[in-house]
Amino acid sequence: MSSRRWRESSRTNMSEEQITQLLSTLRQLLPEIPHSHSHKASSAAKVLKQTCNYIKTLHREVDDLSDRLSQLLATIDADSAEAAIIRSLLI
Amino acid sequence: MEDDYAIFLSPSSLTRVEKPPSRPEDEIMELLWQNGQVVMQSQNQRSMKKLPSFKLLDADHSAPREIRSSSPSHKHRRHHHQEQQQLVTGHLFMQEDEMASWLHYPISDANFDHDFCTDLLYPPSSSPTAAVAPCVSSTVATSTPPILKRVSQVSVSASAKESVPRPPVPPARRNELEPARIHNFSHFSRHITARTEQSELSNSKSVMGESTVVDSSNTPAAAPESRAAQAMPSNTEAASGGNNNNNNANANMSAAGVPYLQSADVRLGANKDSLATCEVTVTSSPGGSSASAEPTAQKAASAEDRKRKGRELDEAECHSENAEFESADTKKQTRGSTSAKRSRAAEVHNLSERRRRDRINEKMRALQELIPRCNKSDKASMLDDAIDYLKSLQMQVQMMSMGCGMVPMFPGVQQYISPMGIGMSMGMDMGIIRPMMSFPNVVAGSALPTSAAAAHLGPRIPMPAFHMPPSVPAPDPSRFQPSNQSDPIPNPLVMQNLNQAQQYIGLHQTMQIPHPQGQAMAQPSSRRGAEKVENHPTGRSISF
Repeated sequence: MSSRRWRESSRTNMSEEQITQLLSTLRQLLPEIPHSHSHKASSAAKVLKQTCNYIKTLHREVDDLSDRLSQLLATIDADSAEAAIIRSLLI
Repeated sequence: MEDDYAIFLSPSSLTRVEKPPSRPEDEIMELLWQNGQVVMQSQNQRSMKKLPSFKLLDADHSAPREIRSSSPSHKHRRHHHQEQQQLVTGHLFMQEDEMASWLHYPISDANFDHDFCTDLLYPPSSSPTAAVAPCVSSTVATSTPPILKRVSQVSVSASAKESVPRPPVPPARRNELEPARIHNFSHFSRHITARTEQSELSNSKSVMGESTVVDSSNTPAAAPESRAAQAMPSNTEAASGGNNNNNNANANMSAAGVPYLQSADVRLGANKDSLATCEVTVTSSPGGSSASAEPTAQKAASAEDRKRKGRELDEAECHSENAEFESADTKKQTRGSTSAKRSRAAEVHNLSERRRRDRINEKMRALQELIPRCNKSDKASMLDDAIDYLKSLQMQVQMMSMGCGMVPMFPGVQQYISPMGIGMSMGMDMGIIRPMMSFPNVVAGSALPTSAAAAHLGPRIPMPAFHMPPSVPAPDPSRFQPSNQSDPIPNPLVMQNLNQAQQYIGLHQTMQIPHPQGQAMAQPSSRRGAEKVENHPTGRSISF
């Protein structure tokens, strides 16, 4: 049993490190909430959960901004540069 | 004797009688019913008065109770009790009413014998449900009364079988069983999950597993047995279907408030198999589990816990007994509580580790669903994708908010904004102003040039995913037109950033199809990506 575990660990060591690195990168991308001690142990589960929530938040923001941009597009001259910009943004 | 009742009663007096001082660990403690409470006492001290209803049992059980090894069911029961008692100090107090309800059910000897024997006859092997099942089913006409009967029957049978007043049951086994059982009962859920995972041969383990299994099985069967369910969601796996039946029975039984009943129920559950499994699991739980059980047992103050424990104990007893028979008794003897503890600890550890991993995997799956077009099954690549997507999303939001802020400006303000845009762009992209100038033209023309321009601008914004070669835009100078200089200044920057984000998305799209393109060929691919984006305009901005 122990040997099996050891084998497993040796097998997955590389990918585990890789994953931890990716997780730390991901953690840096996330908006940090400065608590009293922002150096809190974020487990993989926490990071993943925060990422999911953050992505959902960003989705909502994008939707919201898209709505606003389309509204703006309606209000300005369709031939203006701004309209072009907005249109590009909206794609 | 008086202690007949004790066995099936929840060990209310666990605290009081862990074991008689002189008694070895494996002594069979009997749960005695004293003044409405179940007291655990060693077999030697049969001073308890048994309830009248159990008179029948007493006669039969008095002796068998002490018999440890002779009959598996008996032993299991005893072990259960003892364990329960040991574990649950005071928590297993059975409500007197509870007890009375089922205690006073008439217990016919005949039934007992019949059922009991079948139980006893239930081969030590885990599969002998058949023998018991019939008995159990027959005996259990009603949920409560039958349970009592069963219990009594079991006890009776146990006693009947065990004529030897305390055969030298392997102490190891006993210890294992007891702690496991009590353990199981006290905190079904806790131990169960741990237990089920480790189906060690140790009796305690089996017992533990049983209890958990039983619990788990109960849950599905009996709604009221929610606790059981919690206790053993994992255990169910281990437990055979029989256990479920038993569990259910137990669940019902528990309602009666008699853990004892529960155990009887389990047995009655007509799932010999389950019993067997329970026993096995119960037995398997080595002393270690019992140790853990104790603290948990104490915590489980609820009657439910007690009931469960009773059930588990019973099950554990029967199972453990069976298991014991199955496994080498000698092994148990030699296996000290230490090893049992260790194995149990390992099991617990494995269980918790597995749970942790499951949680992480679940979150990874959720993340994967959020990422568009993520067909990666590998964790690392999926995380890579997630990172890129997150960055692109951030960029997109940034661009859009910039665009939002910029658009409301009427043309007159454009000039005013320009410096601001430039300032912003400066921060972002110092050397882009000039190429930016031509942006509006590009934008007005088509998205294609825009993307191209963006590509030329290169990865000003740190987006590792975009390996856009920051090549000098050759075509830009050609497109340079002074007429629109003022306006587009802020726009190009926005567009650039936006395009970069789009590029990612476009590339993402592109990569889906012509994979070899990769991001290295940013320029050509970005153009293609832009085309793609154009060709597949979605209502939403940058939709994947």
